[in-house]
Amino acid sequence: MSDIEALYPFLYSGSTDLDAVMTSVRQSTVEKVDEIVTLRRTVLERDGERIAACAEAMAEAFAAGARLFAFGNGGSSTDAQDVATLFMNPGHMNGGAAHPLPAFALTADIAVVTALANDIGFEVVFARQLAASAFAGDIALGLSTSGNSRNLIAAFEEAERRGMLTVGLAGYGGGQMAELGTIDHLFVVPAASVHRIQEAQTTVYHALWELTQQALTRMEAGDGDDGA
Amino acid sequence: MDQAVLARVPEVFARRVGPALGLADEADVVARACHAMATRFHGGGRLIVFGNGEAATDAQHISVEFVHPVIVGKRALPSFSLTSDVATITGVAATAGLEEVFAHQLRRLAAPRDIALGISPDGGCVNVLRGLETAHRLGLLTLALTGGDDGGPIGRSPAVDHVLIARSADPRVVKEVHVTTYHILWELVHVFFEQPGVLDPRVIP
Repeated sequence: MSDIEALYPFLYSGSTDLDAVMTSVRQSTVEKVDEIVTLRRTVLERDGERIAACAEAMAEAFAAGARLFAFGNGGSSTDAQDVATLFMNPGHMNGGAAHPLPAFALTADIAVVTALANDIGFEVVFARQLAASAFAGDIALGLSTSGNSRNLIAAFEEAERRGMLTVGLAGYGGGQMAELGTIDHLFVVPAASVHRIQEAQTTVYHALWELTQQALTRMEAGDGDDGA
Repeated sequence: MDQAVLARVPEVFARRVGPALGLADEADVVARACHAMATRFHGGGRLIVFGNGEAATDAQHISVEFVHPVIVGKRALPSFSLTSDVATITGVAATAGLEEVFAHQLRRLAAPRDIALGISPDGGCVNVLRGLETAHRLGLLTLALTGGDDGGPIGRSPAVDHVLIARSADPRVVKEVHVTTYHILWELVHVFFEQPGVLDPRVIP
């Protein structure tokens, strides 16, 4: 016991419990770090090649004038906004300036979102925006952990009708996003934790962005197609 | 398929591993930050979050995490993001300057018992630093999520009570470590709530 504890035992009345909780809390952090490192390895093994193919398709779409529309609910809406600002204002990559590319998050305009939700219903908030603003060849990128959000399903259905390039990020078993069968590039993060799914999805869209940038740079230099 | 793009994929994923594992080395800092946050929530404090660019989306993610827990049965905790009010941000930026936006909002919105959490991937965002300094002067608990080698000026600021540094030069990798960090912060704050005896202010070292 320290001098301070001897003088003021009441200050440390709960200290034993606190020590035990602190120990379990520290262990919990270590376990969660192990989970996400393992999960990313799984995603790489399952989907690494498909991520590269999706990035190439996105680069070709951007080169042809596409705009990207990103959407999701809750935490995934912040990922959608992150995707949009990453493409729009990317700063630097590997020491060089990255290509700024046109992108919107469909949750950014709260007037449109609340108008559609109030007048029609929340299930149309993304689909109606795509119907109004998206063209064939544009990119629709939707993120969901469950894969079951009704407004995402409606948006992917609208995107398919409009001839957009569709990219989906889901979790668990892919849910209804997988059942649709129409999403051009669907990445399902196979985990049971919403948090770990979101963390791995962040890596997937960062990888898509970085590889899209690389593909665009190579296309501009004229060496993008190896014919493979 | 462009073989050069395909060949890059393993490197992109490998770049994440070291910084992610680095968070395990910060487990004690995380635990202390969670205990301090739980103590503030227990005393009626709110969590106020802010950052620029991509970190602005993290600020909103953190506030929704606390207000609307993904795990059924966890209580909602009060939190809001300063980055959602585009009208005020652009208004203050156009008059006082972007450096002042978060400090301005905190002076009007924060109470001394609240928690301020600033996010800056390189630790150099002036408005985040000024926000944290203002929060510290007002008596708030202050936390920062930063990156780089040493957390930059924010990581070294005496105004910040708890600093968590994601050690990578790649801002995208830093962000990914931050996402795991704040998911863990949320979950472990609730662990302390399940042990209310440890939230008595008298036991805080």
